[in-house]
Amino acid sequence: MSKERDGSPFERKLGRDDFLKLSALTVGSGVLAACGAEGSSAPEPGGGTTTQAERPPISSEPGDLEVFEWAGYEYPAYGGKRGQLWPYVDKYGKPKFSFLTSDDQALGKVRAGYRPDIVHPCVDYTGNWVEMEVVQPWDPALIPSFKELDPVLVKGGQIDGQQYFIPADWGFSSPLYRSDKVEPNGEESWELFYDDRYKGKISWWDTPLENFVIWGYVNGVGDPWKMTDDELDEAKDFLISKKNLCRNFWSSQTDLDADIAAGNIWIAYSWAGSYVAAKDAGLDVVYSEPKEGRLGWNCGFVLMKETENFRHAHEFIEGWSSKESAEWIINNYAYGHANTAVDLSKVPEDYVKVFHLDDPKAREEPNAHYARPVSTADRARYASRWDEVKAA
Amino acid sequence: MAVEAQEIARPETRRRARRARPGFVTTGLLAPPVLWLVIFFLVPVVLIALYSVNVFSLYPGGQYFTLDSWKNFLDGSPFLDLFWKSVRMSLIVSVAAVLAAYPIAYFIALVASRRKYVLLLLILTPFLVSYFLRLLAWKVILGDQGVINTFLYWTGIRAEGDPVSWLIYSQFAVILTLVYVYVPFVALPIFVSLDSLDRRLLEAAADLGASRWQAFRKVTLPLSLPGVIAAFIFVFIPTIGEYFTPLLVGGVNGTMFGNAIADQFGQSLNWLNGSVLSFFLLTVVALLLAVFARFLTVRRVATG
Repeated sequence: MSKERDGSPFERKLGRDDFLKLSALTVGSGVLAACGAEGSSAPEPGGGTTTQAERPPISSEPGDLEVFEWAGYEYPAYGGKRGQLWPYVDKYGKPKFSFLTSDDQALGKVRAGYRPDIVHPCVDYTGNWVEMEVVQPWDPALIPSFKELDPVLVKGGQIDGQQYFIPADWGFSSPLYRSDKVEPNGEESWELFYDDRYKGKISWWDTPLENFVIWGYVNGVGDPWKMTDDELDEAKDFLISKKNLCRNFWSSQTDLDADIAAGNIWIAYSWAGSYVAAKDAGLDVVYSEPKEGRLGWNCGFVLMKETENFRHAHEFIEGWSSKESAEWIINNYAYGHANTAVDLSKVPEDYVKVFHLDDPKAREEPNAHYARPVSTADRARYASRWDEVKAA
Repeated sequence: MAVEAQEIARPETRRRARRARPGFVTTGLLAPPVLWLVIFFLVPVVLIALYSVNVFSLYPGGQYFTLDSWKNFLDGSPFLDLFWKSVRMSLIVSVAAVLAAYPIAYFIALVASRRKYVLLLLILTPFLVSYFLRLLAWKVILGDQGVINTFLYWTGIRAEGDPVSWLIYSQFAVILTLVYVYVPFVALPIFVSLDSLDRRLLEAAADLGASRWQAFRKVTLPLSLPGVIAAFIFVFIPTIGEYFTPLLVGGVNGTMFGNAIADQFGQSLNWLNGSVLSFFLLTVVALLLAVFARFLTVRRVATG
């Protein structure tokens, strides 16, 4: 779930240089991974067992906090000026940001050896992060606003009773379409993505999982998040037969927003941010409520095992978790926020209505399908087929 | 006798001395680049090869030698088709870039004699702007509401709301952008070939009654061929594995082999398959280079 802000010049694109750097990093870590494949049980500073009292005070930490973040949430870009970060930045200065473009890419980069202090993945990936043995549980006692966070979301971030994930932002994924150009066939449905009438005006999200999940819900399979190989193969063939309806598969929300504004795209898989951007651009758009249900996501923070900024990391998360921050996120991105103490009267009515910010039921099955944990092996089954769809 | 012996011996010792000292210097000078290549090229290539047969693997525990991924890849996988598509696109780009660059190089080398270096600098000016920005500019030009389509609406050639949609997010967009990017690169080797052309040959051709076209066909073109081939390689080899351009303007059908490789490593975390694709690309490119090398030596590019 990207939170890239519309038109932000700060968004990082994966340029040639970055790609080269990434490749170099990848190769380097390849050597490491190859050499140290078996024994990676070196004692880590700040491992899960140290109690709070034993932790050195914040003043003895280096304070060079590095956050692996979605573009648009960083400081001093749009998200940072008076946004969710200012309590932290006022006190401790500017953290360093690097940018992820998808959960899978973030996992890949850390798997390849990258070690920030905090990462902002989505909750359905928490298991993969724990499985990779690179994260440690948070200490909720160090986050005063923690008690205001939605208990359902908080529970979703626990593994073996440990709070590995602090929920922050949530939202829906649904078809966004130009109501002046597109007329759905009868009921609102995800099938709009496969509508031959709009050939060349559709954009799916470039992601290994969701395009299959959508097909699963449209076709009523048993469990779209754990489809059988036969179902996946059928979905693959179908998606290949329909992919030419797409203008592109988008991977950067900023690019998508630009394409929608430029009239290149009429129908797209989208998050709330694209709805806001399209409205800002003066377009007539509908954020669909498909009969099969919207997809939903909840992202938040995991804490790396090897961090030397344990307390800084918690201070950073306190800044993110406060209700002021929640209000800011909703107003600027129309995403939901885990803090339940937020005053919705200070938020545009349209956002509350379109995204059901006042109705937790709208986030529950069967109204919406929140992303579910998928094991690394299952993810690979989806991913290899998505690669084939793209290559075909 | 003695004098003769001395005279014979002297060059011998000189040669030996010359051989010994440069040997030391040469080693010193060559060591860093060779070391660089070994560490950052050869070792990674070997690693990729090992990943591609699962001797190394991304997730620890599952390592064993297998050629399954290679078999899957070579046995009609969509990636192989994608590879041939990339080759086809690269060929079109290379030929088009050479055709577009030749007249430019010809003009600079043979016609604009006094200002040729200024002109050479001029064709390099696009490099002052980042590639990413230039690609964004193409998006502005080619989009449905872009410069070209707006012009077509304005002239009434196309009805408003009925844009020429294959201009962007298509193979055409990728090919067009790549040709644009590579023309300056391609013009350089052709220019070098043409610039070092012995003009007296052209005069001789004229004296013997050849028309300008005949002189071009029989003298200029054959003598500049090494530059043309070098130029062709300059484009063809890097564009087969092109990644960034198709990502930005390729859309669904402009995807190339490089994008598939990047996805395998970055998104699908399938290093096994990614390594197979990478190593295959590397092998094909190396073979192509070997073939081209038979037709071309570096010196011939410079001397024509």
